Amino acid sequence: MRPILISGHERSLTQVKYNKDGDIIFSVSKDHVICAWFSANGERLGTYHGHQGALWSVDVDPTTTLLASGGADDTMRLWDVKTGKLLKTWEFHSSIKRVEFNEDGTRLLGVTEKRQGAVSSIVVYDITVDVDAKQPDEHSLRIVCQESKATVAGFSYLSKFIISGHEDGTVTQWSMKDGLEELGATVHENEPITDLQWSQDRTYFITSSKDKTAKLITAHDLEVLKTYPTDTPLNSACMTPKKDYVILGGGQAAADVTRTSARQGKFEARFFHKIFEEEIGRVRGHFGPLNYVAVHPHGTGYCSGGEDGYIRVHHFDKPYFDFTYEVEREQAAKI
Amino acid sequence: MSLTAGRTDWAAEAEDEDLATALPAPQITKNKDGSETIVTFVIRDDGQKVKQTRRIKKTVIREKVNPRVAERRQWAKFGAEAGRPLGPQTDTTSVGENIVFRPQAGFKPGGAEKENESAKTQKDALKNVSIKCRICSGDHFTTKCPFKDTMAPEGEPGTTPGDLGLEDAPAGGLGTSGSSYVPPHLRKGGAGTGERMGGKYERDDLATLRVTNVSEFAEENDLREMFERFGRVTRVFLAKDRETGRAKGFAFVSFLDRADAARACEKMDGYGFGHLILKVEFAKKST
Repeated sequence: MRPILISGHERSLTQVKYNKDGDIIFSVSKDHVICAWFSANGERLGTYHGHQGALWSVDVDPTTTLLASGGADDTMRLWDVKTGKLLKTWEFHSSIKRVEFNEDGTRLLGVTEKRQGAVSSIVVYDITVDVDAKQPDEHSLRIVCQESKATVAGFSYLSKFIISGHEDGTVTQWSMKDGLEELGATVHENEPITDLQWSQDRTYFITSSKDKTAKLITAHDLEVLKTYPTDTPLNSACMTPKKDYVILGGGQAAADVTRTSARQGKFEARFFHKIFEEEIGRVRGHFGPLNYVAVHPHGTGYCSGGEDGYIRVHHFDKPYFDFTYEVEREQAAKI
Repeated sequence: MSLTAGRTDWAAEAEDEDLATALPAPQITKNKDGSETIVTFVIRDDGQKVKQTRRIKKTVIREKVNPRVAERRQWAKFGAEAGRPLGPQTDTTSVGENIVFRPQAGFKPGGAEKENESAKTQKDALKNVSIKCRICSGDHFTTKCPFKDTMAPEGEPGTTPGDLGLEDAPAGGLGTSGSSYVPPHLRKGGAGTGERMGGKYERDDLATLRVTNVSEFAEENDLREMFERFGRVTRVFLAKDRETGRAKGFAFVSFLDRADAARACEKMDGYGFGHLILKVEFAKKST
């Protein structure tokens, strides 16, 4: 496969995301600008200007109408995808580390950073999926994370829970009705959770952590189903539809190398089999750690955003789809 | 300059005519297999007339696209991209090198770790090899054996560790009948004839010539050139003085074939080389 290299950002990428149909990729980086790209050929649709600080997170609603973003300028913003117009700005006392829509795009959550005078919290807004509609100023739900600050969060199936990942390696399940903690589990040993991405039906999710593992966890009882160990701190993990793989991205950050081992490289996307928990391949290319990996909703490709400022868009070719384990082939033969 | 009106320059006129005749209309013919052959004529920059024949097959590919996706393709570009033409821009988008990605069961990352692994297996293999002394069967090399001066290797007559411990002094004594010393060429029952120096590559002296009265300024290459005309020369050895680096005055030249050597011997004997007359003869077999 020949990857498409996108170098539209001037600083390191923080998140890349496909829309629901998989034709547009939204990317945010520390250079204050959001970009939208056509995934088929890497053509840029446009840019969204307005943020005054580094951006940490972006998400698009399922109909590709509204775009949400959050960054270090303490604002969460809502944009019109088609024209790049700023629709709404919510201001906070600390930076927004994560934004995410729920399944139907009617709710938007933001994770705020813990800072002196500001607690780590998860705020939820009720959104009307319409460019012309007036969006609420006040949040409909606010969850304060007392114990450890939240780094990532997302809505579970049917927007029943909010699941958050924390800096101390725990995941917490919050009720959507009253915002109370229902369950908590320590899944990564005292290392921050760096990413949380959902399965297609949002009944389970994958977390990645600096403790060099990624884990598959159910949403309703936070049971760890699978563990994918690697040899490098992970920044992101996602599950591929169509084939049962997971893609993990990470790498030793340059800032950490002097403190830890000086082993170079490991800036590869690692592919594991989701069920057998075995590594099946790697894709090289980035020359910095991978900050985010996102997979095409149809499972035909993936893209990764790196610390090196590049987005690499890959379209899988035949060997990717053909690969099966012996047992899988036997099973198929029986049927 | 008497160019009257109505009369054009003859050169231009000729060119016009030329163009008209030289460039017939392109012909398009339909072939049976559905392809088209297009024949066109063009004049290149250097004035050469070129006929171009192209065969084209048109294939219509219909693709069903999600209407939402198709609609989004028509959206006008905005932001930094506003007003840019359709298609990817070279300043932001490029195509990377081809990556071969084949998932495989039991994937092993990287070559370096593989090497480590092979080194490890080698080490493991060596771990199981026990070192055994040929003299006392101890776990050290034979050369490190504390008994190596007083005992012969195992398996040779009258030298088991046991009997050495009992009667060492008389056995080693000079002039004692039944001395334990066995000369190397008689060891192992006298079967071995001893190894010859130079290993198994025994020199074939049958095709080697001894050349004497060689000029002291001669080089091996000079000799090789002279003798190569008679056949394949396998070796040229020119004896040189170790200190001055000059030739000592004799050399050996080996041929692959004895017949060549004989011919060379006959022709080169008495040949003038430098200021001296060569003497060439068959080398005598060294004893």
